[in-house]
Amino acid sequence: MNTIVLDTAATAAQLAAGHISARELLQNCTAQIEATDARVNAFTEKTLGRALAEADAIDARRTRGETLGPLAGVPYAVKNLFDIEGVVTLAGSTVNRSHAAATADAFLVSQMAAAGAVLVGALNMDEYAYGFTTENTHYGAAHNPHDLSRIAGGSSGGSGAAVAAGQVPITLGSDTNGSIRVPASLCGVWGLKPTFGRLSRRGTYPFVYSIDHLGPMASTLGGLALTYDALQSPDPLDAGCHALEVQPVMPFMNSGIEGLRIGVLGGYFSDHASPAAREMVALAAKTLGAMDEVTWPDAALGRAAAFIITASEGGSLHLNDLRTRADEFEPLSVDRFIAGALQPADWTIKAHRVRRMYRGKINALFKDWDILLTAATPVSAPLIGTEWLDLNGTRHPARAAMGLLTQPISFAGCPVVAAPMWPANTNGMPIGVQIIAAPWREDLAFRAAQVLSRAGVAHTKPALFQTSTK
Amino acid sequence: MSDESTLNYVNSAAAVLGIPMDAARAGRVASHLQRTRAIAALLDGADLSVADELAEIYCPLAFKSNEYMREQL
Repeated sequence: MNTIVLDTAATAAQLAAGHISARELLQNCTAQIEATDARVNAFTEKTLGRALAEADAIDARRTRGETLGPLAGVPYAVKNLFDIEGVVTLAGSTVNRSHAAATADAFLVSQMAAAGAVLVGALNMDEYAYGFTTENTHYGAAHNPHDLSRIAGGSSGGSGAAVAAGQVPITLGSDTNGSIRVPASLCGVWGLKPTFGRLSRRGTYPFVYSIDHLGPMASTLGGLALTYDALQSPDPLDAGCHALEVQPVMPFMNSGIEGLRIGVLGGYFSDHASPAAREMVALAAKTLGAMDEVTWPDAALGRAAAFIITASEGGSLHLNDLRTRADEFEPLSVDRFIAGALQPADWTIKAHRVRRMYRGKINALFKDWDILLTAATPVSAPLIGTEWLDLNGTRHPARAAMGLLTQPISFAGCPVVAAPMWPANTNGMPIGVQIIAAPWREDLAFRAAQVLSRAGVAHTKPALFQTSTK
Repeated sequence: MSDESTLNYVNSAAAVLGIPMDAARAGRVASHLQRTRAIAALLDGADLSVADELAEIYCPLAFKSNEYMREQL
């Protein structure tokens, strides 16, 4: 069974009815990983002993007639910055290999276990999450299952690639400036960056405390929603977890979009999107009946402030290791980390002040709109090793450019569902569309996403594992 | 900052922070910082007043409701 077509909710129901066992699901999953991961390079660690124990425990509970969790028996994997008990949390680095193994699971891994999901391993990523391409020098690049010569996106590249390759139907990732939405877009899978402060980050290796988010990626929208609901819980031990109660989206998935005010982001967002990306936004807009173009206030300013806070916090976090072990860092990002550590305080403080002003403008915008649409990446996946990108006549550093359209949104903390869409002229490669709602309104983003899914314009596709050179 | 002044800044600031820096790395870091400086210039154009505080400020303890305070009496 190729898990790319595995519908999470249906699978859990089949398992509960005894039509399939958790052990069979796990075997199907591990067979697909064995068959494909030498080409995809999504996994950095396999936790098959734990997975077998979790699967057998689920089967035993079913045999005893006990009530099973909503994700019972569903295999999943996590970006390797999530703590897994007994495993060293690499966060994409070799520096962390000298750390002790985690003594407990990350909060969200515990939530997944409580829902009955089966953890099969940890996934490739950009070192310390500072990148958009998962061209990891230490562990090798994550390859895009739809064209193995192309990037999977990042920094949660292994998380996107594993779902696209049909290895697991669900993964967890992190998103500071676009690190869930970029790989979701380039790999053609569903992704959710929730509201900043919605999900606990406890037990994950941080990148930028003041902007880090965690969230799921999935092969189906239903699986994404089911997983998101299972992940929710207040957590007073994460100072950045602001949600005080669970607000599930599953009950509202089929409420439709009647009465919702849906607009399309123009200006900065249109200027930084390729024709193929704009084509996908237009298709989503047409399907959702969105007619009006909307200006997102101060998008370039928001991106600038996010860039500066990211560099400063990231550089400060790793300063001790940069002093003594810089040569062990990822060559693609070590100089950026050092530059961040050296930034004048004025830049960082001003960026935080800009963020407060920015928040006010964005929250004001959502008094007039319920849903806003834009592309998740400017282009489809570039070839691995691409240095420069021409975008509407302007030359951009290719790796940084992958976050041009995501960074202004996450800086505001708004929830976004990334919907996988398939342009006609990108050689079969996907580009995602961001469905953006006001903070704490994930339910609205999921309602709009469900309309796109039901209309057949947003969906995953089985990977072909082919290689092109164009 | 000119390229040379950025390079001087990188070498001086790295020395203050105790980050070893050879000439090749100093050049690469200076290039990054030069790009960031151009980005930071956008912030200088933001319409900030003295009343615009940081987005999040230190909180000594979560706020206690009046109901909680009455219970403590």
